[in-house]
Formats: sequence, C-alpha cells, structure tokens
Amino acid sequence: MEMKSYTFRIQRNRRNAEGGVESRWQEYKVEASDTTTILSALEEIKGHQDGSLTFRQSCRSAICGSCAMKISGRTRLACKTHVAKVAKNGVVEIAPQANQPVIKDLAIDIGPFFKRVHKITPYLQEGPESTKEVTKSSFDQVNHVTQCIMCGCCYSDCTMAEVSPEFAGPAALAKSFRFVSDPREGHKKSRLAQLAEPHNAWSCVRCAMCVESCPKDVAPMEAIVKLRTRMVAQGLNDGAGARHALAFHEDIQKSGDLNEFTLLQRTLGIFGAVSELGSALHLMKKGKIPSPFPHKADGLQEVRAIYAALEAHPVDVETKAADVAPE
Amino acid sequence: MNSHDLVIVGAGLAGMRAALEGVRAGINVAIVTKIHPLRSHSCAAQGGVNAAINPKDSWNSHAYDTVKGADFIGDEDAIELMAKEAPDSVLELDRMGCPFSRLEQGEVAQRPFGGASFDRTCYAADRTGQVMLHTLWEQLVKANVPVYEECHLQKLALDENGEVAGVVVYDIKNGNIFPIGAKGVLMATGGYGRVFQVSTNATTNTGDGMALALRAGAPLADMEFVQFHPTGLLTSGILMTEGCRGEGGYLINALGERFMGKYAPTKWELASRDVVSRAEQTEIIEGRGKNGGIFLDLRHLGAEKILERLPQVRQLSIDLEGVDPIHEPIPVRPTVHYSMGGIRTDMWGASPLKGLFAAGEAACVSVHGANRLGGNSLLDTIVFGKITGRKAVEYVTAQGAKNFPMREVELVKARIGELKSRRDFGLRPNELHHRLSTKMNQYVGVFRTKEDLQLALEQFPRIRKDYELIHLDDKSEVFNIDLLRAIELGHLIDLAECIVRGALAREESRGAHTRNDFPQRDDEAWRKHTLANWDVEKGEVALSYEAVRTVGNDNYVPKVRVY
Repeated sequence: MEMKSYTFRIQRNRRNAEGGVESRWQEYKVEASDTTTILSALEEIKGHQDGSLTFRQSCRSAICGSCAMKISGRTRLACKTHVAKVAKNGVVEIAPQANQPVIKDLAIDIGPFFKRVHKITPYLQEGPESTKEVTKSSFDQVNHVTQCIMCGCCYSDCTMAEVSPEFAGPAALAKSFRFVSDPREGHKKSRLAQLAEPHNAWSCVRCAMCVESCPKDVAPMEAIVKLRTRMVAQGLNDGAGARHALAFHEDIQKSGDLNEFTLLQRTLGIFGAVSELGSALHLMKKGKIPSPFPHKADGLQEVRAIYAALEAHPVDVETKAADVAPE
Repeated sequence: MNSHDLVIVGAGLAGMRAALEGVRAGINVAIVTKIHPLRSHSCAAQGGVNAAINPKDSWNSHAYDTVKGADFIGDEDAIELMAKEAPDSVLELDRMGCPFSRLEQGEVAQRPFGGASFDRTCYAADRTGQVMLHTLWEQLVKANVPVYEECHLQKLALDENGEVAGVVVYDIKNGNIFPIGAKGVLMATGGYGRVFQVSTNATTNTGDGMALALRAGAPLADMEFVQFHPTGLLTSGILMTEGCRGEGGYLINALGERFMGKYAPTKWELASRDVVSRAEQTEIIEGRGKNGGIFLDLRHLGAEKILERLPQVRQLSIDLEGVDPIHEPIPVRPTVHYSMGGIRTDMWGASPLKGLFAAGEAACVSVHGANRLGGNSLLDTIVFGKITGRKAVEYVTAQGAKNFPMREVELVKARIGELKSRRDFGLRPNELHHRLSTKMNQYVGVFRTKEDLQLALEQFPRIRKDYELIHLDDKSEVFNIDLLRAIELGHLIDLAECIVRGALAREESRGAHTRNDFPQRDDEAWRKHTLANWDVEKGEVALSYEAVRTVGNDNYVPKVRVY
C-alpha cells in the first residue's frame, strides 16, 4: 500500500503545581497509508518516537469508547478515523476533548462526564409503570439509544456544554431516554419531571453537533426531542422551554408566522420578560424589535391543512434501530 | 489504609457480576480496575451468549456440546454447572434491563452458532457484549459499589500464613502507590491477547491478574490452549463475528474455492473454531491463500441482509481493512482471540492459593478445555461471576482480619522508582514487546512443532535480561502510560513462557493445540490439565499436571470429534 508522510501537530498538556494546565504544540512525522487510523499513528509515535505522549485507547474497534479526542477540529474516535481523510495539507491537528478538564496531553478527566450520567439514575427501576409484557417492537426505541458507548464525543462538541457546565449533556440525556422508552421502566413520569428541570432536556439548543459527532449513530439530539415531546404529552408545560415550544406551535398554527414581539413574554412570563428589558432596548436601538402586530403568512390555509392532517395522522418521527439478527 | 472484605480486580462482566454478589450478601466489596468499567473488553464480544432457554433445548445438550467442543479436557462438573445455570443467568440480565433482541412476542431471540446442536445463542444485534456490560455497570452504579478507577494492580499481597491479605495498586491518575487490605481477592482481569503480535483483543488485555497470581504462587492451567478465531481482519486482527458465517457467509481461498467441505463435511463454516482455523491455515500453507490470509465472502448474502444484520462488522471492514463486504470478500486469517487457560480454580472459582478467586477469561475453571465454543465466554463471565462471587463472599465472611504485609508496598515503590530512573540504553518497552509478540506469532501459532517451540523457549533468558534494560521516556507521576506498558510487558513475558512450555510439553494434538509432530489426540497420556507454576529459585516456569474432573456420564467419554 502506498505510504505518505504526514505531520501530526499534537497538543501536549501538563498540569503544573498550581493546578493549571500548561499547553504547547509538538510536531511528529508519521508515514500512513489510506487505511492507517489516527490511533495507529499515535501508537507509532508513542512506540518509536516519544514514549511520553499520552492518550487513552483500548479496543481498537470503536466499541470501548476510550479514544475520543479532537482531531482536525472535531471530536472523533482515533481508532476509526483515517489519517488520510482528516489531514489538511498533510497536517493532522490533535487536541484533547473540549468541555472537560485535561489531565495530561490528550487524556481528560472523565469524572465530570460520568457524574452527569450518574445523575440521571442510569438503571432500570421497577415501579407502577412497569410493563411485564413486551414485544419486539416495544424495544425499537431502546435499541437505538443503547448503541451509545459513552465515549464523550457528543459532550466535547456540544455547544451548550461549552457555555453551561451545568447542562446534563447529550449522552446523559440520550441515556435517560433509553429508560423513559423502556416498557419495563417503572418510573417514566417522575423521570420526565426530573428531566424538565433546568439544565436538562429543554436546555439543548438543537445545534445538532452531537448528531454529527456521534461515532455510533445514536443521534442524541433526536432522543432529546423525543423526551420533550413526551414531557409535553405528560402535561409538563411549566418550564420556559416547554412554553417556548408551545408558543411556536400556537403561532404557526394560528398565523403561519411567528409573533416574535410576544414570544419572550410567553416564554419567560411578564417578570422574566421585564428582566430582559436591557436587551430589548439594545435591540430597539439597532432597529431589531419585531412588529407587535401578528403577520399572517401567505398560504395559511395550507399550513392549517398540514396541522389538521398531522393531528389526524401523527407521523412517527421517532428514530428506530432495526432489531438486527446478525448471527 | 483502605480495607474491604473482598477486592475484585477487573470491571468487565465477570468482575461486575461478582461484585453484585458481594452487595447482595451485604459485605464490603470494592473493584479495582485499570480502565473505566465501560471500557472493559467484554464490550467487544459481538455474537451472543449461550443458554438453553427454549423448552425444546436442554442443559444436557448444551453441556454435551461444550464437553465435545472442549475436546474432552474440560472439567465436566463445571461444564454441567454452567449449562444448568445459563438460563437463569441470562434471564436475570434481561430483568436488569439488558436489551436482548426479541422475537415477535417478546421472547429473547436465539441464533445458531459454531459447534452447537441447537440455536441457543441469545444476542443483542451484533453488540451483545456491549449491552451486557452497560447493563451490569448500571447495576453497579445502582448498588453504589466503590470502584478504584484507573488503578493498576501491582501485587497480590499475602500474609504470614501465605493467605491473601490484599493488593498493592498504582493509581494511574496521580502516581500514588498504596495498599488495599482484603480478606479475599477475586481476579477478573480477562485475557492476554497482547502476548501475540496480532490478536482480536484490546491493547489493555495483558493478563495482569493471571501473571500476578502466578508470581504469588497460584498455578495457571492449560495455558497452551490459545484460541485462534477464524476471522480476524488480515491487517489489524479486529474481530469479524462468527455470526458472519452463522448468517451464511463462506470462507474462500485465493482461487475462489469454498474449502470448508474438505475439512468439516457436515458443518462446513460452522464447525468449531479450532477446526475452521486449522483448515484456513492449511489452505494458506498449501499456497491457496493471499498475503497470508484467506477470505470471508458475504457477497452472496446481498446488500440488504448485510446492512440489516451485520452493520457493525461491515463498518469495521470498511474502516480498518478498506474493503466493503457488499462488493468484495474480506481478507481474514486465524487470529489470537481467547485464552482457554488461566488461574486454576475448582468448580466454584476458588484457586489453591487461600483467599484467591478467579472468574471469566482470567480463570481456568475449566469449562472451555482445549477449545471454547462461541457464545460460551459471555456465559462463563455471568455464571462464574455469580458463582465465584458467592464462594468468595462465603470465604471472606468466615475470615478474621488479615495482617497486611506493608513491605510489599515498599517493594512496589522501589521497583517503579528503579524503572523510572533507568538510563537510556536505546530499548523502549514497545521494541521488546514487538520482539516477543512477533516470535510468539511465528513459533506458537495454529500449527506447532517441537523445533519451533524450542526456538520460542530459547528466547526467554535473553528477553528477561533485556526487560531489565528497557527505559521510559515518561518519568512523570501523572498518567504515565509508558510506565504502565513497561509493567504490563513483564506480565506478558511470564504468560508467554507458560504458553510455550505448556505447548512444548504437550505431545499430542487437542483442540486449539495442534502439533504437527504429534497429530493425534492421546487420551491415555494427555487427558489432563497442565499446571504452570512459578519456580522462584530458577526464575522460570515449571510444569505439573492434574486430572480432568469427570462426572461418570457415558456420553462424555472421549470419542473422535467430527463436525
């Protein structure tokens, strides 16, 4: 196989005595073929050039979740990423996962990530809502999210986690959906109520970075959306997130367009809206305050017809994994 | 000093299942693991877990298949126990929330597997190990079991009576070396795939528990029986599940011939793994291979079936071998996969060393004898995790406090300090590991001869000498993986010697151990377990033998094995 030379630009991190992290970039040359993985290249460096380069890895086959790291700007598993595919002008840049404390080089402290997972009560509970009788199809939803290997790629690339360390994060929320959707789970309602609290399901901004980053096709954001749907169906409408979604729903159904002037007040309530007055004045100065008079969209009849059709025949928007039988 | 009643080393399926027994019994149990529990290699098991849960199946049939698969050197009491306990153990996991694949009415689905006379392999798509591991981890979180995460076992500590008194561990996160007192220690540290250059195993599979048990005075059994999986990817060794053949995949040689009929006229590709691996290697040796491999051909299954039933495997083939199985046959070869050998235990998982227990791949109970059947390793972990856990609980409950030998901590500190302070003689751990592991692949493969095995054995004095010359680039305290690998390499050397000595001595062919110079199975002389002990005086491995435990069932009398 044809070998090409690549430059690996790797972030080397050390914790100093004061608890801070000292970073520098170090370059290594590695020969790689079309199917050489980033992990093989890192092993080549560690084994033959610099034994002090530090990173986690284990299974080499994208199932243990150890080797998630920032590779060319995106968090990926080193073991299933090809050097040739991510190199830019022959250079591959590697850094540790973001949104988490760094221990050394590419190894991060996985504690805070798992703490979030622990918080969602990550085990099946018997209870009043447990169903004993299950069928093949009742596992469709569970199957999909249990593909998660807890590698942390989604959390590292999460734009919400970047600004809000309190956010539960995509992996933990997808895991919670795994239980909410399991027919055997006995406390679905109280789980949903807990997930309606701040920093959980409603905090996601639906940027879809987690869907892009997930190496196992879990699509955490879709699980989060499903959680929201189930919350609203349960009447868990009190929070800002739910009110915001319902206001959207109401506007589009009514006028086919969003009434942004009243949206804030409907989402945050009168007092909440008043507290945002500063921002409003700022927007007003820039001429960005929307008109208070609702605008009716063209083709409103069509929008209403779509709503009527959907309400009569709801589309199943839930992601399912085939209950595959490979052996 | 931290102390527990029971310390379990390893947080894969066997270790976590054992820990739950400790919780249920109300003892103080803790787990030590060098990687986060969810990173354990149990997650890489793809195919499934055997249990006679169908009313038309029976545990007797499962037990017989296993005795035969083991080439009549498995311990029959333990095999029967495993087959009997299988349905309860699998269904218990199901109740814990494990998302096994289902039949229409919700029953756990089962599929055919190599060497089995019934479709008894329960599964969750092609990621059975992963969902089982995640399920047991959930239970571990629920039970709030203390886990010493990213702590590496350094030594099994014995008290003045030669009984287990705890362990010394190295905290990878900060470099601390500290003792953990325990009345009993249960090794669930898995296998040693890294002894070989190419294996299906994780790079963390370095047999630490086996090697440290050996050095502490416990015997390892049947180490010469190393399972070669018939379908590891040619370049990386990554596993292509037996399910590829279960789904109807063919093995073809470089001439495009489907060859298994010559070797196993009834079962073809679904003969037991030792038979299929030998057939492949024969094709390769006789010149009908390509680049040292043959091919796994799934093309005739069609894109739809491959995408629906073998999605993970297809993706791995594309990612790691650059081959899409829908359009091209996958280059594969027999690849080191599993250790039938391990820490010798009785049928309850207790080793002869007082206070030491072992379960899962780290143990040799022995339910797999000379060749493990697919689907029996996941089963082994949950059945003997439970049984050994119970036995260990029973033992520690009857023990008083142990006297921890603090000098062991000092010895470990001195050893690690010495490793870190070494001068650079130009030998990195990786280079020595490469030398050892390539020799093991070269001389201790599917087919073995006295000459090759002797060549393998002769290298040990030199390797041990050079091991004292390796140096570390990383001298730091925090997350020193360089140091970790150097320590692991020491374990691999000990285990490799056990494998080579056992293989050289066993002058017969049985299961996964094939000697070209002794092609027949010899029940008269060799229906016995090899025990490897560490000879402290000589600084090398010494062998002895032990009878197979039989139960007097006429069906189990050795006969010619045909598939």
